[in-house]
Amino acid sequence: MSRAYRIRVKESSRRELKGSDEICTDLEVLEILPPEQMGELLKKELKEKGFAEDGGKLVRKDGDVTITVDPKTCEVTVRSDVSEEVTLEAERVEQAYDDVGPGSKEVRERAKKELAKDLDRKAKERTEKLEGKATEQLEKKLCDLQPELSEVVNRVTREALKQKAQQLGTVKEIAEDDETGSLTIKVEV
Amino acid sequence: MAATDSPPAFSRFEFNLLNLTKFAVGHLPAGPAANLLTTQLPPPPCLTAECVRIVEDTLAKGTVLHLVRAGGWRKERFIRGNAPAVGRVWERIPPDERQLTFSEAPLAFLMWLTAEKPTAAKAKWDVKAHYLTAADELFFATVFEQLQTTEKNAEAVAGKWVFADNPLCRLYAPAEFADADPVSFDRWVVGERAVILECLQPHLTAKWVKSERAKGEIDDWGRIRRVGTSEDRTLRDFLAACDKAGRPDLARFVLTTAKTVLGAGGVDLDFWTGGLKGPPPNRLADRLNAQRAALALPRQMDTLQAWDRRARSVGYFDDGYQASQVWKQDWESANGEGLTATARRLIEQLEPLRT
Repeated sequence: MSRAYRIRVKESSRRELKGSDEICTDLEVLEILPPEQMGELLKKELKEKGFAEDGGKLVRKDGDVTITVDPKTCEVTVRSDVSEEVTLEAERVEQAYDDVGPGSKEVRERAKKELAKDLDRKAKERTEKLEGKATEQLEKKLCDLQPELSEVVNRVTREALKQKAQQLGTVKEIAEDDETGSLTIKVEV
Repeated sequence: MAATDSPPAFSRFEFNLLNLTKFAVGHLPAGPAANLLTTQLPPPPCLTAECVRIVEDTLAKGTVLHLVRAGGWRKERFIRGNAPAVGRVWERIPPDERQLTFSEAPLAFLMWLTAEKPTAAKAKWDVKAHYLTAADELFFATVFEQLQTTEKNAEAVAGKWVFADNPLCRLYAPAEFADADPVSFDRWVVGERAVILECLQPHLTAKWVKSERAKGEIDDWGRIRRVGTSEDRTLRDFLAACDKAGRPDLARFVLTTAKTVLGAGGVDLDFWTGGLKGPPPNRLADRLNAQRAALALPRQMDTLQAWDRRARSVGYFDDGYQASQVWKQDWESANGEGLTATARRLIEQLEPLRT
């Protein structure tokens, strides 16, 4: 007469899960001066906003969000990276007709394979949640970043216009209105 | 005497083959052809001479008629040599440059189509695209267009080289080849293939306008991304080939499509992405890429504008002045500058960091 044995198999795994999201876009910088000079002006303004130069690009890290600007191409990359170290656990209970023989060994191996799949599934679910968190952070950051970069571009445009005016002739008068954002330059050619 | 006057007798296979030939050139609608496409008949060892003659006659007359109706009848202006040529296609092009020659591939395909059910074909049939003549490629593009009017048959044959590697099929239906490797359009912007493209301009415009309008109905984010990416790649490759060959006029359908779509007052992003009601991708990057891909056509306006700028820089005494005027005139009559401004406004609206 055969008896059924209940075999309980447990697995746990410690993993570092990562979720990320990023967008790439271009800053609309007018070509008032040659691209190299516009790039230099952009670099200067961004440094004032806390960006640091890294391999020709300007980078700033705000928490989990990294903002990278290429002053040559005016390409902006905003990337949000979220990571979490988690311990994932899974358990399976299977039936076997012996407790130490080949039947039980086979059942244990099968259960272990299933457990590995369960752990991967759990890890995937957690990663998706992390990705959601990364997207949320990215969206929030974009809302804050838009006016900041807009201001940077405006300052670059103003500075470029001033330099262009100096190239055209003698600057007689510069009037700036911070409220309306208007800039009037009188040049004697 | 009576025997010679009687109509020729055909086997069932030949009867179906002749009707499918009519369907292939657009002379038989999808309804009556649907039955024939689901019927499987064992092919005979050979066809009767009369059957082959009628197939040849149908291909010859049907293909020419298709080209004439598609736009060949119109009095148009295209670049020929280094100067514009004006008139209907038979007025612009000498007869020896507008002869259509078919290889055995169309008949072999029609026999396969008669013998098999495309959606569950047992026998494989295919021919590498570089063995096909210009007329063959036009035939297969027309067949593909016809199969699209039936259920699932176009999808079933889309993987065959005669369709997937056929540049004209890509221009007709880029969305159907989203997963296929890119093809070169170089052969299609010179010689007899360029003449075929000249004839097909209004037809291509109608197809692209229809496809652009259909985008607003797509609710699946993944699908709009695949469709848009494929269209963008097709248009970029095609425009690059036209530019290289000095034939911007062959891309007139892109400009006229843009004129119809972007020139309509009040066009907004909803025109392309308004149908996206399905669950959006979790990642912002994926959402943005899908929306950006949807605007494949407006993204080409910068290239077309660059062509206009270049055309304007050609001096009156420079080589190619007259040819440059063809694109300049096309651009002006379509209000290219206005269309480009609209395209840029729409593209910028999508950008999350608009400054």
